[in-house]
Amino acid sequence: MHFALPPRKTSQPPPYLRPAARLPGFRRTRAKLVAIAGLVLLSLVYLIARAQTHSGSSSSSGRSHGAAPVPARTRNPSRGDRGDPPVVIVTVLDETKYTKEYLQAVRENRVQYAEKHGYKTLLATPSDYDLAEAPASWALVPAVRDALTRFPRCAYVWYLDAAGFVMNPRLKLEEDILRPAQLDKLMRRDVPVAGTDGAVKTLASLKAEDAELVLTQDGGEGLAAGSFVLRNGEWAKFFLETWFGPLYRSYKFKKAEAHALEHMLRWHSTILSRVAIVDQHVLNAYNKGAGGQEYKDGDLVVRFPSCSGKACETETRAFVQAWRRAFDAAQG
Amino acid sequence: MDNFSACSRSTSLWGPSRPSRTPTTPMSLSRSTSPIPGGGWATPGLDMTNGRSSPTRAASGTPAAWQQSSRLGRSPGGGSGGSGGSRKNNQYRYPSFSTRTQGFFGRHMRHLSNTLPRFNSSSSYADKEKLGRGRWSPRNTTLSGRVLSLLGRMGRKMKLRLLVLLFFLLALLVLFSSSFVHRWRRSSWWGGGGGERFVMVVGANVGGGVADWKGEKEWAIERHSLHNKKQYARRWGYDLEIVDMKTQKRYAHEWREGWEKADFLRQALQKYPKAEWFWWLDLTTYIMEPSYSLQHHIFSGLARHVYRDINEFNPLNISHPFTDPYLDAESRSPVGDGRPESIHLILSQDCSGFNLGSFFVRRSEWTDRLLDVWWDPVAYEQRHTEWPHKEQDALEELYASHPWVRKHTAFLPQRMINSFPQGACAKDDGGRDERFHYDKKDRDFLVNMAGCEFGRDCWAEMSEFKELSRHLNRSWWDRLKEDVVAAAWENMTGRKAKQ
Repeated sequence: MHFALPPRKTSQPPPYLRPAARLPGFRRTRAKLVAIAGLVLLSLVYLIARAQTHSGSSSSSGRSHGAAPVPARTRNPSRGDRGDPPVVIVTVLDETKYTKEYLQAVRENRVQYAEKHGYKTLLATPSDYDLAEAPASWALVPAVRDALTRFPRCAYVWYLDAAGFVMNPRLKLEEDILRPAQLDKLMRRDVPVAGTDGAVKTLASLKAEDAELVLTQDGGEGLAAGSFVLRNGEWAKFFLETWFGPLYRSYKFKKAEAHALEHMLRWHSTILSRVAIVDQHVLNAYNKGAGGQEYKDGDLVVRFPSCSGKACETETRAFVQAWRRAFDAAQG
Repeated sequence: MDNFSACSRSTSLWGPSRPSRTPTTPMSLSRSTSPIPGGGWATPGLDMTNGRSSPTRAASGTPAAWQQSSRLGRSPGGGSGGSGGSRKNNQYRYPSFSTRTQGFFGRHMRHLSNTLPRFNSSSSYADKEKLGRGRWSPRNTTLSGRVLSLLGRMGRKMKLRLLVLLFFLLALLVLFSSSFVHRWRRSSWWGGGGGERFVMVVGANVGGGVADWKGEKEWAIERHSLHNKKQYARRWGYDLEIVDMKTQKRYAHEWREGWEKADFLRQALQKYPKAEWFWWLDLTTYIMEPSYSLQHHIFSGLARHVYRDINEFNPLNISHPFTDPYLDAESRSPVGDGRPESIHLILSQDCSGFNLGSFFVRRSEWTDRLLDVWWDPVAYEQRHTEWPHKEQDALEELYASHPWVRKHTAFLPQRMINSFPQGACAKDDGGRDERFHYDKKDRDFLVNMAGCEFGRDCWAEMSEFKELSRHLNRSWWDRLKEDVVAAAWENMTGRKAKQ
């Protein structure tokens, strides 16, 4: 076709030239492609992110292994945390069993030791807790549980029976006994839980970091419930609440809570697998006994397993004077 | 312009420039513009024919050529000589162009055959020149080359359509190829269902063993129940663990019958390390709605479905929550910490308390502890005469007295995971109780024929529920057949149609 005249250019040309393309090599047809690719990429990212939150939520619960998620206010200190306070000392003071003067000495002993190291004490009486017809000696279990409630950020709870004194104020519990490297040396592995023979033995493979409960034996006869250290956490609550179960309390164990403890270790692997048994000198030396259990200078604790009432005061007098001297010396 | 060129050519060929060589004989019939007198293109040494390889035709020559040569006065095999010296004997035949236009095929053979696809691409074909010139000839013999060339010749629109079709086919393959779907449902990647997080543990072979032979009905119950579970597990990509309850006999010896559930769950926990939730099912259960996935039915909305405050429904009258002052706030709270992540045991309550015919435990240290302390000889020794339901009662006892158990336990409304037939938890008038009893209008998920072995007919109940489940979950095709066609047949003939 022919035009008579070629089409005219516009008489008002644009003042500037439009750029041919914003990007070299980027054409309108490619914009569509880029848009589609972007959409696909975004959906991939979404799917993967979704999968990760999925598996994340499931695996986190798997990893934390039931250390139940708790609100921040009651969150327990993590492993290695020094805790605030590091240790809570729990003693149940039974006024029907001991004289007032004796209990006063016990109280002073605990408070002075705690002050020296920045610990806290929880000095309870059996009447503080509802034991439901169980012997008063059971009060130690709710007392320790109480300590976990009152000091939710503590690292350890040390239960020390009223029939015992801290003798060596220089020893620091969380440093000289409970530090994993130290505990690793003190732990007795693969030994019968109670007595000298028995099929149930402490784990040979237990790592000190995993130990939740540090216990001693009772002169080779059974387990001693008079002095033990429990690490704060979900396991501790599980352990104490199971120990305090009404069917254990109502069962006529010959030694009440001590035998219930032994029973738990014998029958329940989830408890046995977190228990470290240490030598009696570490936590629970006796004032008299055989087989190397008796107290010697430098031990942290002396206990009087067979004393009661008025006799206790006379039996322990020498030790009371000894710890007061030791504490004064440590102060000065 | 045309005129000019034609003119010049004609003068150069047969114009007066070379009159001497022009033979005196009249022009051959050939219309060829041959430089050779008499016409034709001669090629020395070649038996010149008309491009045909047929020897008979070449020998006889075309009538025109024969006429020509005889007219020239040369006999075949005659002596040499003559102008140019290049003509020898009968070697020189002048091509003839007389067309053999006999018939339609004769005329159009070449045209037709050219339009046909050519499949023979073997290189043994004598005429190599012509290879690869046909329309369909494979220029690149490799498949990819051919495909590429095909794509190259294709329009953009066509390509797009083809892409859409391909995508559609791929989608079909993905959506309906069962193994792919199965794997996708198991994994939590790519938006999959995460079915590998769930394990169903079913206690089979109840009452089996040496002392107690199973009858025909017991076998049938077991077969139907297990088939139901297998189908369900396969459909959603769950793992199914069928455990052999005849070891109950061994436990009976140890006073532990009933508690083997805990042991089986512990074994399953070890066997499926990837799984998170373990679902215990008694043999007398039947999944009525296989189209419900556990994720969708329960776990995606766990916080909405469960209740953790047992006061909501408390047939055992357990005082809740704990009030002991030595417990922490979480233990004294009626709902634990209230977060669905802290739920590690999910069960339901029937009219008489906990029911362990269908319950869930989550992999955790908490669960290890629970399964460990569930059986305790001291508890058993004191309570076995009061515990007709053994492990169920033991769990109730743990729940009632142990705060650590209570704060990680949650309950589902019974009919979400454990509906009863009306024979269980029966009302005095035999009617339905909204809380316990299966209702097909609500399409309850699972039926547990709890206690059917005590005075009820397990097999009758199970086959009834099985048929009901099938009926409720018919495909549209079955619905058409049964509701429309069979009904119409009945109307027409008055006879009931066989289904």
